[in-house]
Amino acid sequence: MDIKRYKQMRVIIILFLGAIIGISVIANSYMLSAITIFIGLLFLVLVRSKTKITIDEREVAVREKAAQLTYAIFAPTIGIGAFLLLFPGNSGLSVFSKGEWIYVESLGMVLAYLTLFLIALYAISYYFLNKKYGGGNDE
Amino acid sequence: MTNKLKVYRAMHDLTQEQLADKLEVSRQTVIAIESNKYQPSLALACKIAHLFNMKIEDIFIYGKGNEHEN
Repeated sequence: MDIKRYKQMRVIIILFLGAIIGISVIANSYMLSAITIFIGLLFLVLVRSKTKITIDEREVAVREKAAQLTYAIFAPTIGIGAFLLLFPGNSGLSVFSKGEWIYVESLGMVLAYLTLFLIALYAISYYFLNKKYGGGNDE
Repeated sequence: MTNKLKVYRAMHDLTQEQLADKLEVSRQTVIAIESNKYQPSLALACKIAHLFNMKIEDIFIYGKGNEHEN
């Protein structure tokens, strides 16, 4: 199966899935929607396995750039977001202070930990990839 | 970095699709290389040169200031 056929099949499966899930939501049948999602995923995996998809070096380079850009945008965004949600809480600004805005502060905490997790994940993967590609062997 | 891939492909009477199949890459990659939007890896450059029985430097021409194009 070629890539064009695969994309067509994928659209058909997703449309079919959407229709049955819609019906199951209307009919209040969560079991039906769960079974449909499971079978749909199974079909998608089956179709994907029958397709010869060429992932060449340009595609890999594009993915690398996209991941780099995503990290460069996402990490500072959630970091600054966490700072804005947490820092003014201590200075007593009414909008961000505790009370009814406590959920905002909680969100700030979540974002702060998420930022730390992201940075830690980057550092760990950088360390191992650097080792894998011959870095860090200074003598 | 510029290249003469289009010229050599025409000389060997290959379509972009056929060349892509021979190189085991997508047609988009061949288009991107021909239009100098993507610089191939050393392995792919070797493969291209080997396919046309040429040296890499006959196909790919290095120019100053092109070090970080990709």
